Amino acid sequence: MSISDRFTELAHIRDSLGSLAADPSRVVMEKILSPTEAVIDGKPTILVGTNNYLGLTFDPDLIDAACTAMHEQGTGTTGSRMANGSFFSHAALEEEFAKFYDMPSAMLFSTGYQTNLGLLMGLLRPGDKVVLDAHSHACIYDGCRISGADFFAFKHNDAGDLRKRLRRMGPDAEGALVIAEGLYSMLGDTAPLAELCAVAKEYGAWFMVDEAHSFGIYGETGRGLCEEAGILDQVDFITGTFSKSLASLGGFCVSRHPEMRLLRYGSRPYIFSASSSPANIAAAHAALRAVRDRPDLKERLWANAERLHAGLSGLGYKLASAPSPVIAVRVPSHEEAARTWNELLASGIYVNLVVPPAAPDGESLLRCSLSAGHSFDQIDRIVAGFEAAFGGAPQPLAHAAGAR
Amino acid sequence: MSSEPKDLDRDILETLLGSLERFPTKSGELTAQTDLSADLSLDSVSMMEILVEIEDHYDISLPLNMMANVTTVQDLVDQIKPLVESTS
Repeated sequence: MSISDRFTELAHIRDSLGSLAADPSRVVMEKILSPTEAVIDGKPTILVGTNNYLGLTFDPDLIDAACTAMHEQGTGTTGSRMANGSFFSHAALEEEFAKFYDMPSAMLFSTGYQTNLGLLMGLLRPGDKVVLDAHSHACIYDGCRISGADFFAFKHNDAGDLRKRLRRMGPDAEGALVIAEGLYSMLGDTAPLAELCAVAKEYGAWFMVDEAHSFGIYGETGRGLCEEAGILDQVDFITGTFSKSLASLGGFCVSRHPEMRLLRYGSRPYIFSASSSPANIAAAHAALRAVRDRPDLKERLWANAERLHAGLSGLGYKLASAPSPVIAVRVPSHEEAARTWNELLASGIYVNLVVPPAAPDGESLLRCSLSAGHSFDQIDRIVAGFEAAFGGAPQPLAHAAGAR
Repeated sequence: MSSEPKDLDRDILETLLGSLERFPTKSGELTAQTDLSADLSLDSVSMMEILVEIEDHYDISLPLNMMANVTTVQDLVDQIKPLVESTS
């Protein structure tokens, strides 16, 4: 394909969204009023699709820490961690993550996407075997693809299918890498991590979990679904991002294997990307302290999630999962999903419009992500907004929830 | 599998054609040279369904990275064959 053919292909994708009059890329936040509200098209709009789970983006502690770091360390590092971009603040945050997880290794990356890309490109070589959940994020697929490893998908959240895949590998299963996520970002369902980990270990495989959407939200101390599943002493690699619960930009990987730190010498995204800015690192560090010291944030988030789930279920909508910080309304018709998304936006409610192939299972989704910063009044206005946008029609039709 | 190597190509091809016949072709003809994307307009979900059927039939796992080398039905046969042979 030539570059001009590729431009034609991209224009076709844009036009297909345009025909639905629902191109999400046209949404510009003209003024950010709070973690849960912004001005869009000149109108104050409730944000319920920003992954700002703990609502910390305007937290005074984070803002003070970021401003102080910028004054003391400058606006950027202007280099990678392997050159001039390792500041004391990066090292301190790595130590804090290692301590928080009680694990010997922690590494920071410049974005969440680069964290998975960096870990997988550093760990895997052509001929290695990977088995990943079919609903894995694009950065996991991309990391596997670029590494040259042979990678196989197991059916979403299906430990039996994972077992079948590992069995078929024969002796190659020993030493393979199994990958799952904690909370899946589109449907809002969670992985049966204890089961998946047990299957991986039975075959002598390594086990990696991406906690991008579950860090700070699940587990007694906020360490994610691995903590909740009781497998922190068995999982080999945990990755996460700063751009959701931690209200910043960057990512982390922790491991119970001290050797993981050796990836500094062999992970190209780590070696060749500028490190996160001092302000981003300071904000993430302050947010990590908030995860540790302010459990009320998590409690408020869960109360909001339960309230929205109950409200939308009460209207008879078909929701993609049990209550979680991601609540997705399934809409079989893409046109109806786009029309409703436009209606919601026009009424001052921003959700995510997700159409295939980004939406699994062939249906479109109107995806909400909750925040500890939402008020109950906002949640009730969101529910009322959905009811008005669907025009009181019984579409999408009832039957709620898969298993959590 | 009990198939002789010389028959394995044909066996895999027939199995694949059997799975693909429920999808209409633009030319109206389904052969080893049919382009999976251009002639059949298989979307990614349908393609995954077909692959799972083949995997279960032969009790093999097809690596997703192999799809970069697949355009026609015969290309897919060529990728599947060594995996089936290795389980014989």
